[in-house]
Amino acid sequence: MYREFLTVLRREALKWVRVPIWVASYFVVPILYLLLFGQAFDLGRLFPPGADGSVYVRAALLGAPNYFSYFAVGMVAFVTLTASLYSGTGILFDKQLGIHARMTATPAPRSALFAGSLTFRAFSAAWPAFLALGFALAFTGVPGLVGLSVRSSVSAVGAAEVVAAEALLALMFTALFLSFGYVLTSNEAYFGITSLLNLPILFTSNALFPQGTMPSWLQTVTAYNPASMAANVMRENLFPTSGYPYPPVVYLLGLLAWAALLVSLGLYLSARSLRVP
Amino acid sequence: MSDAVTCKNLGKTFPGGVEAVSSVSLDVAHGEIYGFLGPNGAGKTTLISMLTTLLRPTRGSAEVEGIDVVRYPERVRRRIGLVFQRSTSDDALTGRENLEVLAGLHGLSPREARPRIREVLERLDLGEAADRRVSTYSGGMRRRLEIGAGIVHEPSLLFLDEPTLGLDPQGRAGFWEYVRDLRSRRGMTIFLTTHYLDEADQLSDRVSIIDHGRVLRTGSPVALKESLGRDVVLVRPSDPARDLRSLLAGLPGVSSVDPRAGDGEYRVKVARSESFVPAVVRACDAAGVELAGVATRKPSLDEVFLTVTGREYREESEANAPVPAGTTGTRGR
Ligand SMILES: Nc1ncnc2c1ncn2[C@@H]1O[C@H](COP(=O)(O)OP(=O)(O)OP(=O)(O)O)[C@@H](O)[C@H]1O
Ligand SMILES: [Mg+2]
Repeated sequence: MYREFLTVLRREALKWVRVPIWVASYFVVPILYLLLFGQAFDLGRLFPPGADGSVYVRAALLGAPNYFSYFAVGMVAFVTLTASLYSGTGILFDKQLGIHARMTATPAPRSALFAGSLTFRAFSAAWPAFLALGFALAFTGVPGLVGLSVRSSVSAVGAAEVVAAEALLALMFTALFLSFGYVLTSNEAYFGITSLLNLPILFTSNALFPQGTMPSWLQTVTAYNPASMAANVMRENLFPTSGYPYPPVVYLLGLLAWAALLVSLGLYLSARSLRVP
Repeated sequence: MSDAVTCKNLGKTFPGGVEAVSSVSLDVAHGEIYGFLGPNGAGKTTLISMLTTLLRPTRGSAEVEGIDVVRYPERVRRRIGLVFQRSTSDDALTGRENLEVLAGLHGLSPREARPRIREVLERLDLGEAADRRVSTYSGGMRRRLEIGAGIVHEPSLLFLDEPTLGLDPQGRAGFWEYVRDLRSRRGMTIFLTTHYLDEADQLSDRVSIIDHGRVLRTGSPVALKESLGRDVVLVRPSDPARDLRSLLAGLPGVSSVDPRAGDGEYRVKVARSESFVPAVVRACDAAGVELAGVATRKPSLDEVFLTVTGREYREESEANAPVPAGTTGTRGR
């Protein structure tokens, strides 16, 4: 089982490194968002320092020192979503090119085929998020740029929670989009579905905007959105926060439930598509 | 010990009602090369897909190495190799990497796989191109890589679905030699489908002729040809309107005369064409019939095919006819 799994992992990696622009986009996209969107769109600057509005914004950020810091953490969810969005295209193309049929004819366990793709793609969706965090931190040292400032005492447990939240988020998004790759046969349908889901997932989360500023129905949706849960885990650990209804571990459990659900769905759908017709 | 392949009344009707394979019963002995011959759409790929666990039969049963293909597909997959009719290689990887992936998916360790892959690539004349991406391969090279993909894990039973499609004459001859070699040195059992009558003739111990999902005749190529018992002579008078039936039927050694629609040609089955040709020339001279041509044919699988299916093979598949040996073929996909 592990040998077949490693084989799929290696194939995915080989294909990935063969396309330099694909690799490059993983580096460039987070930087672009942080530089363009993050720097320009600072809610706090809409008001003069000390004005009522700016106090209000600070309060809505639930303890994040400034909007950029709030946003940079939300970028983690956004980058992960963007990087996982096309995980299913590999499966789709393999089906069209007969590669899928060839793999089906081997005795490799179906779960190993799915797990191999899931692992590689989830990993490659997760690390650009950490890259984004790293860049945001580094901005602090660049004159003229706002950077991500975190509290000085992030505990080891806190750091582990941040990593776990990101890993679970990457896993569930990748499982979801891989499933579409297995289920669908047309490229157009795939791209249609991903562009349909992309923005709603993002905008029903608190990744970019504080939850407290949303209408109440949206607040309810946002609370259950895994992107919000991941952002909550990270913000609670990275900032001297206040006003979160639950401790990080509760959100982590929520993320675990989401990941279990979507990975099971992926396992089921991939097995179904690999089944003998 | 059981046969390498047995199937009983095996059939597949696709959803929508296309009966691709109606009812096939056959057995393939260990170490045998078994040819499955039929025109486009005859049901060859459907049959091979059922035997290789890629398609579920709707009727009957099949066993490979004594293992039921529906109940234990994974155990069957472990023992067999398959060369697909269509291309299945990954363009972004090199030829060697493609085979490494397949070896890995068959559970081989890189250490076990490496020498086998090297040998297969050498044997298929891909040694030099092994580390180039498949996207740079010619059609023939891709086809040879496909063959490699079917045998890299050294199966005991190999299914080949039109393996020489798009190979040039040297490529085909080289492939035939390789297949014979796999059988004689490794004891591999080989089941192949083909459009090419000469391929079935050259390679197979036994041949089944399939059309419209039905096996029409099975036997060794020699036995199939002998079952006709006759040479064939084609006689064409200059005047297509001239009726030669009674004249030809009256000549010694003639067993049947078959006027062919349209072109005025007669297909005459005779015991020995060598003595018939001078006789027919003399008789026509005497009767004042001018001849446009006389051609003789030793019975071929074409003739068997015609007799069995009631239609000429090449009319169906002219486009796929092999290039005669000795001429230069185009390297197509
Ligand atoms: N998935 C499918 N759904 C419906 N009909 C199918 C399907 N696959 C094949 N058929 C039909 O079954 C018949 C047999 O097809 P098959 O591919 O087995 O023929 P073949 O002998 O391999 O032909 P060729 O020489 O062209 O490869 C054809 O009439 C084809 O249209
Ligand atoms: Mg076919």
